[in-house]
Amino acid sequence: MNDLAVIETVLRNRYHFFIEIRDGLKLQDKMRAMLLSSTLFLALYGAVMGSTHSLWQALSSAVKLPVLFLATLIVCSPTLYFFNVLFGSNQSLTQNVALILTAISVTSVLLLSFAPIVLFFLLTTSGYQFFKLLNVGIFAVSGWMGVLFLSQGMQIVAAAGKEGQSARRIVMWLWVVVYGFVGSQMAWTLRPFIGAPSMKFELFRQLGGNFYSNLFASIGELLGFFVVR
Amino acid sequence: MSSKKPEHKPPTSDRLLDLLLDALVERQTQRQAAEAAPATETPPAEEGAAARAPKARPPAKTRVDQKAAEPWPGQEGWVPPPKAPPIHLERVLVRFLILVAVLIIAVNVPVTRYGVSLARIMPDSAALVIRDGLVLKGSGPEIYMLQNDKLRWISSLDAFEHLGLKWGDVHVVEDAFLEHFEKGRPIHVLLKCHGSPHIYRLENQQKRWIRDIDTFLAEGHVWEDVKMVDCVYLRGIPDGPPIPEDAGTPPQP
Repeated sequence: MNDLAVIETVLRNRYHFFIEIRDGLKLQDKMRAMLLSSTLFLALYGAVMGSTHSLWQALSSAVKLPVLFLATLIVCSPTLYFFNVLFGSNQSLTQNVALILTAISVTSVLLLSFAPIVLFFLLTTSGYQFFKLLNVGIFAVSGWMGVLFLSQGMQIVAAAGKEGQSARRIVMWLWVVVYGFVGSQMAWTLRPFIGAPSMKFELFRQLGGNFYSNLFASIGELLGFFVVR
Repeated sequence: MSSKKPEHKPPTSDRLLDLLLDALVERQTQRQAAEAAPATETPPAEEGAAARAPKARPPAKTRVDQKAAEPWPGQEGWVPPPKAPPIHLERVLVRFLILVAVLIIAVNVPVTRYGVSLARIMPDSAALVIRDGLVLKGSGPEIYMLQNDKLRWISSLDAFEHLGLKWGDVHVVEDAFLEHFEKGRPIHVLLKCHGSPHIYRLENQQKRWIRDIDTFLAEGHVWEDVKMVDCVYLRGIPDGPPIPEDAGTPPQP
């Protein structure tokens, strides 16, 4: 319950939250609370996604979705940190991770807020490609909000080091692009999260193809251009 | 002892009058600025007055200019907005989490006698990924496997089991969906036992003797399809018409 209180602070008093991160106030507590909250939210959203296929898929996605976000965080945060240092930032790695966790927390709580809508479509439609694209859209919207939070947080936390501020802003947005690429490839590697209805449950599907070609293929099938195989 | 004297606070009425005066000055300045030069920025000294008079709404253009003059978050001189009062979002979150968890359980609980849950109760055909090996069934008893865009009828339960299929693999679809595909060669199980040269095709729970190799090949069969079974089991399967049908009385294995 106490750990969930961090979400209110992030959503309603974000500037004060970022100032506390800048000043290094209770960073460990904040990070623990955000990690626990976002893991819980992502696990529930993952379970909603997987429910379309089977109970096993629901359980598997509930584990895999938090892993996806945390693994992407681990892979990408050193890049952001070292590039920021290169351009004059005096933030610590912990502050960087705390900021990224803030973005993940915002993304995860927004994802959770979409859960009833996803459940509604799960019960009322059976179009696999539609359901997949619906989730891609929801992830895009929630992820974008998280990125905006990260951008604001970076602005405030990095305010102490004036040198290279504009360069760091560019670095941050380039990093967001890289984060998106790594995240989508990670998601492709850890798939399935929804599970194709005509296929048996599998924890991981064999590698091959990529996220973007599948996305375009799904759009193509939804619009009636061709059939995804 | 204490050199600090308590700060003199003006009476409330004076403070209200001051605020009103500030607002009037602010309004007048804005009007003059708008008349003289529309793009002129508001002097910083007057920003405080504007902040103290929230009810005085300047024209939209001036507000935009004011906003542009304000420091960005993190910039020097930037002051964070006052803290929003708590609304105990964590309580709402806990209730929402419980609700979502209950819904997840509810949609995953089997509701039909076949063990299908609410989440998977919708007809399959619109949700299927078309691929080789997809097992489909329409309103009739026939079960088909999709291979190379063709529906291949699985001719017997033995063939079904021989392919390693389970009932869970069968997707019941509308007949109209099956009509989208051409019919291919049926999938048969060919049976043979050690010590007998004869090969039989299992069809509709009957064994049909295949007269010779030429017929075997002409029917499109391959050796990989031949399954070795026990001779006693093979003899126990009732005979059907031989292949070809004028081949005469079928021999026993």
